[in-house]
Order: sequence, then C-alpha cells, then structure tokens
Amino acid sequence: MQRRHANTLAYGLTLAGILLWLAAIAAAPLLRRAAPRWSALFYTVFAPVCHQRPERSFFLHGFPLAVCGRCLGIYAGILLGTLFFPLRRRTPGSGLPALRTLAVFTLPIGLDTLGNFLGLWSTGDGVRFATGLLWGVVLPFFFIPAVGEALSRERRPELAKAGPKT
Amino acid sequence: MSDQRPQMIVPALIGGVVAGVLSGVPFLNCLCCLWVIGGAMLAAHLLARESPVSLTAGDGAVVGVLTGIFAAVTDTLIGIPLRGVNLAIARRFMERFSEFAGEGMPSGWESWLEQDMPGPGPAWFLFGLLISAVIFAALGALGGVLGASLFGKKPAAPSASVPPPSIPPPPAPPQA
Repeated sequence: MQRRHANTLAYGLTLAGILLWLAAIAAAPLLRRAAPRWSALFYTVFAPVCHQRPERSFFLHGFPLAVCGRCLGIYAGILLGTLFFPLRRRTPGSGLPALRTLAVFTLPIGLDTLGNFLGLWSTGDGVRFATGLLWGVVLPFFFIPAVGEALSRERRPELAKAGPKT
Repeated sequence: MSDQRPQMIVPALIGGVVAGVLSGVPFLNCLCCLWVIGGAMLAAHLLARESPVSLTAGDGAVVGVLTGIFAAVTDTLIGIPLRGVNLAIARRFMERFSEFAGEGMPSGWESWLEQDMPGPGPAWFLFGLLISAVIFAALGALGGVLGASLFGKKPAAPSASVPPPSIPPPPAPPQA
C-alpha cells in the first residue's frame, strides 16, 4: 500500500475507532435502565482497562460512565488530537513530534497519577480529567503516523541504504 | 531484510505478561490502561536492545499489538482464580455506587451482579478474551509507538559499502 493511502486509512481508522470507543463508554450508563444486559456488557468490556470506581467517575443519566474521569480525559484527548491532526506542521525525518513535546504533555498526568497512587495527595475528577485530556491530545500525533507506516510496510531507510545482506 | 529484524515475540511476551499481571491484580489495576501502555513500552525497549538498526514507529506499533494480545491472555487467565475477589470488589463497588446514586437507584439493584454480569461459561470467557485482546492491542500499539520513539533510535553507523566523499584539499595560500 502506498504511504499516502496508508496514512489516510490510519487516520480514518483512528477517528472511527475513538468515536466508537467513546460511544461505548457513554452507552453503558445510557442503557442501564432500558437494556441492563447490554449496559452490563459495556461495563464489562471496559473493566480490564479501568477500575471504574464511581467516586472517580462522571455520571450520565444517574449512572457512572464505563471508565473513570482520568481515562475519559485520555480518550477525549485522543479524539481532540485526532481532529487537530490534519492541521499539524510537517516535520522532517520520522514525522513524529519531538520527545520533549511528549515529556511536557506527560508530566502533569505522570505527577498526578504518582502522587495519588502513593497517597501523597488526592485530586478531584476535574484535575484527573484535565491531565488525561492533555496527555491524550498528543498521542494521535505519534499513533497515526506509526499505524500508517505499519500499514504501508515501507522498507527501513537504514536497510535500504545497506542493501540486501549476503 | 528480515534477517536484520529482531524477533518480536519474546519482547512482546515479556511486556505482555508484566502488563497482564499488573492489570489483573486488584488494587494495582487502579492505574487502568497505563499498565498496558507501559508493558508495550517495555517490549519496545527490549526489542530496541536486540535490534541492530533503529526501530521505526511501525515496528513499535506491531510489537505493541503483540504485547497487548499477550497481556489480554495473561489478564484473562489471572482473572480466573481472582474471580471471587473481583466479585467481592464489584459488590463493594455497587454498594458505594448506591451511596452516590442515592434515591436514583432503580429497584432490585442488589441483584444486578448476579443477573447481568457475564457468567463463567466458555462462550463468555472467549468473548471476553476477544474483546480484551482488541482493546489491549489498541492500547499496546500506542505504548509500542511511544516506546519505539523513546528507545528505538540508534546512532547511525558508517556504511562500509559507500565510500566517504572525497574532499579536495584546500588550495595553498599564495606565496608572498
């Protein structure tokens, strides 16, 4: 597959995937009264990747979302980053952002998670959501080019330069 | 080309088992998806250590997907003996949930767990494993990409087949 087509496919898959993901998170509480079995299924789907504690979750129609506030922030950030992705500046080389950019966006969630985990402090849902959102925004800028590259199966520049091994 | 590409299975297995165990143990799983992302970053680090060439972001994505699948299997297997513990935690979750929801709780909520939670049958087990594998693979891909970006760069080695460009010596200064 050509790189250009692979990048478009990667972007489309990421956008569709994150929209589906967020819809499933919201479906769990929305279906709680009308279709409790389907609602339980959605809660169960997200159980392996989130503690789902209600006191750390946002509520919708009287029931907690299928993931906690921090996880919701990460996924909402991924959606936001995916929407902004086409506006990025083209960077030479790998096309990925600089690592210091990742560090800046990771520092708040890293510090807050560590502090909460060690019991040093306890932040509210708003802060948890905000730090997750900040981290999530930068992730598509790494993820989409990587998936595009994996789909296009381009030869590595180093290997192409070195030629076939004898 | 493939002979220079290191085997991804072993790093993915190590990262996947670590992530699956940490995701499956109660209390430790409060870090949510970060364990899977971290396990995939570990796998990318191990892969980069073995690789003679720089890892691409695509390599990171592939090893991350494999890590996520291994993590899902490990997490599901760990969940079998811990099912009782997890159900007890879920019951406490529902009790706290009822305190938060107050009067908004529908009648009969106490029996939700027994009525609605998927049972231990093989069909539910396989379905749960499949869903976990898909979700963990997506998160693993993310972690693998981040890991490849962080650990995958190698210093460019001078190529033996391409001679360095010949640079002519600078012209001698004019004799006075």
